[in-house]
Parts: sequence; structure tokens; C-alpha cells
Amino acid sequence: MSEENQTDASNKRESEPSAWSLIQSWLGSLKFSLFVVMLIALACIAGTLIPQGEQVSRFLVKNPGSHKALEFMTRVGLTNVFYSWWFATLLLVFSSSLTVCTLKRYRMIGRSTGAVRVRVIGSLITHVSLLLVLAGGVIRAMWGEKGVLQLSEGETATSCESQTGAPMPLHFAVRLVTFELELYKTPNEPSDVGDVLYVQWPEKELLVPISLEETNAPVVVAPKEQAGSENTFRVKVERYLPDFYLEAASGEAQSRSKFPNNPAVYVSVIGAGVTNAEWVFARFPDFTRHKKSGDGGRMPLQFRFVSSGVKQVMGRSQGPVKAFRSTVEFLQNDQVMLTKTIAVNSPTTFQGYTFYQLSYNPDDLRWTSLQVVRDPGVPVVYAGFLLMMAGLTVVFCVGPYLDDKRKGSGKPV
Amino acid sequence: MINLFNAGLAVYLGALVSAVVFLMSSRRLFDITANVLMSAGALMQTIYIGIRWSEAGRAPFSNMFESLVLFAWSVAVIYLVLRLQRNIPWLGAAAAAFCSLALAHASTYEAAIKPLMPALQSNWLTFHVLTCFLGYGGFAVAFLIGIGFLVSDREASTVKPETREALDSVMSRTISFGFLFLTLGILTGAVWANSAWGTYWSWDPKETWSLITWFIYAIFLHCRFMRNWSGRRAAWIAILGFLSVLFTYFGVNFLLSGLHSYAS
Repeated sequence: MSEENQTDASNKRESEPSAWSLIQSWLGSLKFSLFVVMLIALACIAGTLIPQGEQVSRFLVKNPGSHKALEFMTRVGLTNVFYSWWFATLLLVFSSSLTVCTLKRYRMIGRSTGAVRVRVIGSLITHVSLLLVLAGGVIRAMWGEKGVLQLSEGETATSCESQTGAPMPLHFAVRLVTFELELYKTPNEPSDVGDVLYVQWPEKELLVPISLEETNAPVVVAPKEQAGSENTFRVKVERYLPDFYLEAASGEAQSRSKFPNNPAVYVSVIGAGVTNAEWVFARFPDFTRHKKSGDGGRMPLQFRFVSSGVKQVMGRSQGPVKAFRSTVEFLQNDQVMLTKTIAVNSPTTFQGYTFYQLSYNPDDLRWTSLQVVRDPGVPVVYAGFLLMMAGLTVVFCVGPYLDDKRKGSGKPV
Repeated sequence: MINLFNAGLAVYLGALVSAVVFLMSSRRLFDITANVLMSAGALMQTIYIGIRWSEAGRAPFSNMFESLVLFAWSVAVIYLVLRLQRNIPWLGAAAAAFCSLALAHASTYEAAIKPLMPALQSNWLTFHVLTCFLGYGGFAVAFLIGIGFLVSDREASTVKPETREALDSVMSRTISFGFLFLTLGILTGAVWANSAWGTYWSWDPKETWSLITWFIYAIFLHCRFMRNWSGRRAAWIAILGFLSVLFTYFGVNFLLSGLHSYAS
């Protein structure tokens, strides 16, 4: 090769952009960036219109004919869009493009003046904020932990169940002290309804409500205008058990706890040749447990026990749920370090783990379900949120204000 | 209280009639009447929202009825603020029609104040919904201007170029306003979700469609600022973006289930 040719080749190499600068200009081009954004938007549309994750099996039950189509979609990752490798790749490409665009804007600051410079700075802040939000997401994925802790009253746990189903150890113990469910009052419900025993005798048009809060003394009940007659009864609530159960050994009725999980009253009836008593259950109105005493006799009266405690147990069918909260203790070396009440919108944090009130068991209100999250990415994400609003305010408020000011004064700002 | 709601709807309809008569007759009296009625309608709605807020003991932004009332209110307020700066003759009629339609649709839902479910009992409800609907209001006005622009573009010979430029500028500014508030709405929603469930983003359909809407307007703003997109292209994006807003608002509530299902 002649000297002249060698020089030409060397000049050509110098004038040719390097692979890195080509990639940079490609990633930083508006067309490419917006193309990636459009692809992400299309993926998002697919992720909302195509059944995702657990929805797939429910969809198949309703639409058995779509089995093959869904099988194909599952194979190409369309039934788990937001957690698929290709969506993660799209986000990675988007982040790379965003990084290059951010660097380009940084370089533009020095080359611009006035209101344009202000807009560029605002735009730079906004792009940095997006990178922070994405970085926060990566931190969460890499170092974050998330699990569900299900506890019954009095129970202590040192680990919870992670999203994969594996146990997620905590470095301390959590004990559920109490779980409470609060319901909204229904419009026709008196505020102090309490516990009421309704004594009924439909054939004789008898309906007498006896409030358990009012008296423990026998109440005389009789059909309309027949008081003092042979139809008169003395009804007495002998016992009240908030959480009825039968002791296995003795067969004695006892209360498992002070919480109204299975409220029952033991009602005695004397009168009209009847001396009888029975357990009446609020949750099981059709089930009665007879215990004859004296000369017995067929029970002519019917009882219905309405307990405010049962409303809690059957919360969903009785009235809208107002609040549900768990009081928990955090322990270390059997020492209670912190006692807190956790409610929806009111989480509590202990040693880096935040506990959220997730749900409860409507059939057994001794149980609670807590979400346990440790997310070191949250401060980064929130910093991104603040910067995003600052950046957009500069772009959309400060920039136009300076533009208007310049137009008003006729001078460049 | 429902009388105030109906009165607001009647006043918006009155504004619509006046604005249409103004467009047909060009008599300034009808333009003034339309704007006075629009202001009265916005004021009535403000009082209605205030009374409902006081009676419910919380921001009345928790269901379809309440959000439609807020949507109409935000469009009316944004239009009136815009009217102080620019006079776009037909925009009054379009805004009045939009507000009337929104309130008429709201009247098909139950207006009774319902107790809030635990997840909604948060001050973030006020910030999140208010900012989202101010954003939606901005996009709705941009959509109306976009349609007006396309219509006026077909009659380009009769419309002054300055008028089209002004429309284009207003459309861009209302989109910028909407984008700022939609962003704030998405971010406040994320902070709220994190305080309620321990996750700021869960790819819930409403969240995802808000993001799609955000992407559409972000693409527009990039093209506008960096490629000077304007005119018909901008108008079409304003329309496409608002269709996405409508799907985010109505479509997701009725077709897709998720964390925001209670909004229906």
C-alpha cells in the first residue's frame, strides 16, 4: 500500500464515527426513543386487555374455546407481560435511551440561553427523575422483600410467606394482640342496638325484644291482651357466652375468648306448664341446644338472638366495612419492643420492614393478613417523583412565563 | 341538594343554547349570556361540591357520579380561565355541551352519599382525584379545540391563519396543563398506593392506562418541542390522547377489573 493510500485510510478512520458514538446517536435519537415508548405503550395495552397471571385460569373457565390462543400467548409471554423478559428488556432499552437523551440535554445547557436554557434545564431534571424512578424499581427488584403474614390472635411469627411461597425470615417476632372490624351503621339501625333476644310466638302474635344490656331479671312475656292468662311466660337470660364452645371432657359450655366470635345465650322459660331452657346462637339461628330442667315440656316460644358481635363476623353481608385494624407487638428476645395498631392507609415500620393491613378472614375474625414489605428503593423513587414535578414545573410554568415576559418587554430574557 | 345539581345542568344547557345562538347570529349579547351562564354553572357546581363535601365529611370524589360532577366542573373552570385570556367563539358552546353531557350522564348514577371503603379513607383521595381530573379537564378542552381546529382547517380559506395559530397555541398549552396535572395525579396515586398496600405501582389496569395516556401526551410534547409538530398532527394527537383518557376513565371501570373497580 502506498504512503498516500495509507494516509487516506487513516483519515477515513478518523472521520468515521466510532461504534460507541453510533450507538449513542441511535439511542439518543428522538425517533428511536419515541419508538421504544410506543412499544412499551403497546405492551401495556396488551397487558391490560389479555388476561394476566391468575386471571388466565378464570378466563379459561368462562371461555374454554380460547384455550389454544391463550396457550400461544402464554408461550410468547403475553399472559405475564409486566414480568416477562421481553418487557424487562424494553424497559432496559428505554432506560439506556433515556440516559443518552439526558446526557444530550446536559450538553445542550451550555449551548442555549434565556428561556430555552430554562426549558432545557427543566427537561433535564424531568429525564433524571424518570431515571431515578426506574432505578428505584431496580433496587426494589434486587434488594427488596415482600411477603404476607397471616396471624390469629395471640399467635407469634418470626417469618412470613414470600411472593414465591418460600418462607421469608424476619429478624424479630410479630404477635397479633387483637384484630378489630368496624362496620358502618345501616341507615335504619339504632346506634345503641347492642345484643337483643327476640322472643317470638307467631301463632299468638307475640314478639318481644329483650335487650341483654337492660336486665338479667326474668321478663314476663305474653301474647297481645293475654297477660296473666295461661299463656304468660317468664323468660330469663341465664348465661351469655361471646365465643361458645363445648369443653370436650366435661361437655360444659364455655367461652373460648372474650371476642364475640360465636355469641350464644342460655335462655330459661317458665310458665304455662313449661319449664325449659335452651342455648340460642346468634350465628346459627336454626340450631338450638336443649337442656331440659324440671318437668320440661315442649318449648312453645321461639328465640332469635341478634348480636352486634355477629354483625362483625358477618360484616360483609350486614353493612359496609368502615375499618379493619390489627394491634401487633414486635418482639426481640421475648421483649416487646413496639406495640402498634396497623390499619389500611396506616402502616407501621419496624427495623426496615413495613407492615400493611392487607385483608382479614370474614368467617373468622381472629385472623388477620398483613403485607410485609422492605423496599430500599422507595426513597429513590420518591426523590424521582419530587424531581419530576420540579422539572415539569420548570418546563411548563417557568419557561412559558419567561417567554411571555420576553414578548411583553420586547427584550430577550 | 339534588336541586342544585339539576340547576347546574339547566344552566349549562342554557349556556349551550346561548352560545349556539351567538354562533348563528353573531350578536354579542348571546356571547355574554353564554359566558355568564357558564360562570353561574361553575359557581353552582362549586357550591354543590362544597355542600356535598360538608355533608359527607370527606371529598366527594369517590364514585362515578361524584367524579363526573368533578369532570364537568374542571372543564368549566378551565374554559372560563381560558376565556379570560383568549376569545375562541365556538369553544363556549363546545365546553357547555361537554359539561351538560357529563352532568346528564352523572344523573344516570346513584347520587346518594355512600360510606367510604377503608382504602379510600385517606387525604390522598382528595389530591389524587382532584389533580387527575384537572388533568382530564385540560385534555378535554384540548380535545374540543383539536376538533375545532380540524373543522376550521377544512374551511381554511375562510379562517384567518392567525386564528389557526392561536388555536394551535391554546391546544398545546392546555395539553401541557393537562400533562402536568395528570403527572401529579399519577404520582400522588403511587404515593397513596404505597401507603395503603406497600406498592407504588402494581400494573393495575387504571394505572397502566393512565401511563399509556401519559405516554401519548409525552410523545406529543416531545414532537411539539423538538420537531415543532403543530396544526393537524397536533389536533389528531389531542383527539387520540383524549380517547385514551376516556378509556382510562370509563373503559377501565366497566371492562377491566382492578384496584380501581370501586370507581364504577
